[in-house]
Formats: sequence, structure tokens, C-alpha cells
Amino acid sequence: MPESPALHIEKLRFQYSPRDPVVIDIDSLDVAAGEQVLLTGTSGRGKSTLLYLVAGLMEPTGGRVLVNGQDIHAMSGHTRDRFRGTSIGMIFQTFNLLPGFSAAENVMLALMFSDVPRREHRDRALALLETLGVERPNAAADELSIGQQQRVAVARAIACRPALVLADEPTASLDPDNAAAAMDLIQTACTESGAALLCVSHDPAMADRFARRASLHELSASTA
Amino acid sequence: MSITDFTIIRRSLTSRMFSTVTTAFTVAIAVGMLLVLLAMMDAGKQAFRRGSGDMHLLVTKEPSALVSVLNGIFYAGAPAAPISYAQLQRIQSDPRVAMAIPNQQGDSYAGLPVLATTAAFFADFAPTPGEPWRFAAGRTFEQPFEVVLGAKAADITGLRLGDTLELSHGRAGTETHTHNEFHYTVVGILESTGSPHDRTVFADLVGAWTVHAHDRRVRNDPDAAHTTPGGITDDDRKVTGVYVRAASRRGSNASAALGPLAYQLRQEGFMVAEPTKEIDKLFKIVGNINVIFIAMAAVVMVSSAVSIMVALYNSMEQRKRQIAVLRVLGASRGRVFGLVLTESAMLGLLGAIGGVLLALVGGFAVAEALRKTLGIVVTPIYPPEWIMLVVVSAVTLAALAGIVPAMMAYRISVAKSLRPAA
Repeated sequence: MPESPALHIEKLRFQYSPRDPVVIDIDSLDVAAGEQVLLTGTSGRGKSTLLYLVAGLMEPTGGRVLVNGQDIHAMSGHTRDRFRGTSIGMIFQTFNLLPGFSAAENVMLALMFSDVPRREHRDRALALLETLGVERPNAAADELSIGQQQRVAVARAIACRPALVLADEPTASLDPDNAAAAMDLIQTACTESGAALLCVSHDPAMADRFARRASLHELSASTA
Repeated sequence: MSITDFTIIRRSLTSRMFSTVTTAFTVAIAVGMLLVLLAMMDAGKQAFRRGSGDMHLLVTKEPSALVSVLNGIFYAGAPAAPISYAQLQRIQSDPRVAMAIPNQQGDSYAGLPVLATTAAFFADFAPTPGEPWRFAAGRTFEQPFEVVLGAKAADITGLRLGDTLELSHGRAGTETHTHNEFHYTVVGILESTGSPHDRTVFADLVGAWTVHAHDRRVRNDPDAAHTTPGGITDDDRKVTGVYVRAASRRGSNASAALGPLAYQLRQEGFMVAEPTKEIDKLFKIVGNINVIFIAMAAVVMVSSAVSIMVALYNSMEQRKRQIAVLRVLGASRGRVFGLVLTESAMLGLLGAIGGVLLALVGGFAVAEALRKTLGIVVTPIYPPEWIMLVVVSAVTLAALAGIVPAMMAYRISVAKSLRPAA
């Protein structure tokens, strides 16, 4: 039996209301396990919306999203939230680390909603942060440098060893050198953890980093 | 150590320390007020029972039983109508009477009431059942023109044994003249009893009769010579009240003679009051005021719940991103709802604990103030079941107040909340 793709999208449609224009209209998209895909598109075309639909944080107007073979929108709310916590990691442009919590605690927050036994949370978070080069795991997240915060955000995304990592414009606020370093980190971390990566970006410089690229415009069923 | 829901709640509360402290303090004040009022209600009743002591009846010529108790035991005012000497003798000679201590009010010293009575007042009457008078210094009066000071009266006046004083005719604020011709000597100072008697100057009854005999004589003859106890007539021997105890079996407070005795005295035209019953009546009246106070405290409690709601509601705007991140990490809507609701309940619990501490300190401060200013001993009583009830009510109210902000957290749009700031 063939292995399920990390992500399978089928006839996915989304519009905010019946009177609003269609924001997402994707006939089909597959991301294989461990595969890294760059999704490009200009700002405001629904790239982030697609990620929230994949993560089950928004309801599609139609179609299906299967993560690791499971239809995320067919799940009940509680099951879907739990599934997201264990199977999907997310990285944001502004990292979204929680202030008032240390770097290690930010990673442990992700583990809190997983099946990982509590007694292992701290050791696992510290080991992951060390691997990713976070020098002060016990410092408050908002006291770390941008580069260190980025590493913590990546650690949090892969802490539960997800099948799929969704990265939403992860380098949009960085200069070219730091953007390259950040993408090295994200791609290496995903490769090493075995997670598939779906990265959305409007930055053309990203294209060379990914073997597989697609634009939201090309995927759109209405333009096919 | 792993991160738990409690860690998130604790960090949330400490990150808004000022808001947390002020909100919890509001709850603490409400809980404290409510507990102090509940504690004082019962303690106050007990305190007012002190003073009437082991008497069964207070016999006067007042217009109402309650007024006679307020005047005769709590020194609220001077009794207006006197009891004649013949009537006093009649009461004292009744075989059903075990104790009949005459007293006379109407004079004052330095704003304090004067109770003229006999030495039996200290020997036979106990101001609180089972707690007889005790002298801090000196003795009871043995001669006319000797006085004994209540503990508070001694504090207020600064008088000591051997000091002399002159009494004024009329109660505090309505003194007509001072009996300069008669000098009284302090022969005893009482220990505190926690009753209104502590603020009283006790004078020998024969002395008081002598002074008023002199007043009578001077009214008839301005050049009348100094009056001595020998110059007293039966008409001068008036009293304003009699503390009566009916005969009872040894060791028992109940008396079968009490009912018939009271009935007969009423038939003879006396106002016969049973102090314990009158105090209960008084507390029924005051009880309505207590209900108002408790209602006020309840309103403060509800206000404090509203302040919790407002504080959490306002914090939601800042916490949208935090809640959205938790949702992304796998927290369900129900779980974030529960987090906010528990945080609200925690604020209530913190406030309730603070309130209990405030009540313990405040109750004793109020009791001390009452003891110092009014001489009334009140021991605040905090039954554990009341404390539990008030704490549980505060936490429940706080949790209810958290429903609106928790609903906000429940409905937060993750996509909108995580959108990078423009």
C-alpha cells in the first residue's frame, strides 16, 4: 500500500461569504512525505488563508484537505485541534513566540498539547533548542535576538515531530543574508525531522531553494 | 517541570500584576465586609447581653420596656419617672424576690453617667452571668460620698484612688449645676467587664439622696445649712430603677416565681422589663439594618465580579495573539474557554483569601475600637461554614464573571489574530 502524502488537497474552495470573490480554488495539490514545496504568489492572493485552511483553522467552502491521509475538516473540533497539535507545525513571519515565557517554555507549550509524556517535555525542548543553536534556552523569548527567536520558532514547529510544517512568509521581515540563514535552518530542521514543508512566500529569491515550486495562480482551478 | 494550564494562568495574572492586584483587592474588600458584618451580627448581640447580667427583671416607671432597658442598663438617657421609697421597700420585701438592687440615675461626671446604688450592686449582681465584678484597685463603697469607677471611666477621667470629685446634676450635655458642696472620694476602680457599666461612675445611693435632700432644702431656704444623711426624708429616697432577680433553685437561672412576680409588679403600675427579651427586640429592629448592610456588601461583591469581567475583557484585546498561538499549537476552543474561566475564578479565589485575612484583621480592629470607644466587648465569630460559603460564593461569582471574556477567547479568529501588524 503506497504511503499517504503528507498533504493532499482536493477541489479546495474558499470564499468569505457567497457574495465575496473566491479566494482559494485549488483543484489538486499533493505534498509527499518529507517533500519541500514552495508556494508563491503576490501579496493578498490568499497564501496565508490556504495555510490556515490546511491547518484546520478556517473552514473551506468546499473540497477536502488530507494531512497524513486524514481529512482534517471531517474531524470534530476537539479532534482536529489535537491532530493539528501533533501532526502540523506552523512557522510565522513574526514568529509569534509568547512573551513572558522562556525559549524552552515556548517549545514546551507545543508539547503540552501532544501525546508526549509530561516528564519528557523539558528535556526534549532543551535538546531541540541545543540542536538548533539556541544559546539561552531559559531567557525570556522576547529578550532573544531575531535570529535566536527564529530558531525557537522552528524548534516549536517541529517539537512534536509533525508530518507537515507550514511556513507563512518566514523570511518576509529579514534582510537577504538572514533570510537565507533562516531558510537553511527551516529546511534542514524539516529534513532532519522528516517533516514535509509547505512554504508560502512572495520572495522570488526563494525559488532556487526548492526543487518543487508552484504559484497559487497556477494551482487555481478557475485559471486552469 | 512541564507547562500546564495553571502555568499559563499564573503567567497571565502576573503579566498584568497591577490589574490582578487591584481586581483581587476589590473582591477582598467585598468578602471582608461581608464576613465582618456576619461576624459582628452575632457578636454584637452577645455583647449587648453583657450588662444586664444575671438580673431577671428591670423595674422602672419608664413608658416602655425597651426604653427602660436602654436607659437603665445602657445609660442611653436619664430615666424620667422615679420609684418611691415605699414602692422600693414593697419590692424588696416580696418573698419571691431574691435580689432587688435600687439605683438612681440623673447625675453625671465629665460627661459620664453616674449610677447611684448600694454595695449590693457589686456583691449580689454580676454584670455578665458567671463573671462577677472584680476590683482592679480599692474596694466597694462603705460610706456616703464614696465612688467606684468603671474601668473605662477611670481611663477617661484619669482619676485614681483617693482623688476627689464633684458630680453634676443632669446627664452629659444637659447638666444644670454641679453639687460643689459635696466632695466624693474614689475608693475603688473596677476591672473591665466589656459592658456599658465600664463607662460609669458608681456612687453610694445614700450620698445621692443626701445631695438631692440638700437641693430640696436650698430650694425652700437658700441659706439652708449643709445637709447630712441624717436630714434625708423618705421623700428624698427615690430611685429610678431596681435590678430584680426572682428566687430560684440553687444553681438554676430559671424561676417559677418570675412570671407571677412580673405580672403583679405590672399590676402595681411598674414598667417591668426582661432585659434579654428587650435586647432581642432591639436586635430585630437592628436586624433590618444588618440586612441593608449585607445587601450593600453583596452589591460590592457583584461590583467586584463586574470589575473582574472588565479587567479580563480589556485584557482579551492584548491576549488575542497568545490565544491564537495556543490554538495553532493544538489548544481546543473549549480549552481556551476553560483557561479564561479558571483565570477569572483564580482572581476570585485570591480576592476571597485576601478578604478572609482582611476580615480577621478588620474584625478584631473593629472589636478593639468598640472596646476602646464604647467599652463594649465584641468577639468577632467566624464560623468555618460561613467562611466557606462566602469564599465559594466569591469564586463562583468570579467564574460567572469570566464567562463573557471566556466566550471572547472561544470565538477568537486565529487567522485575524495572527495577521502581522501593518
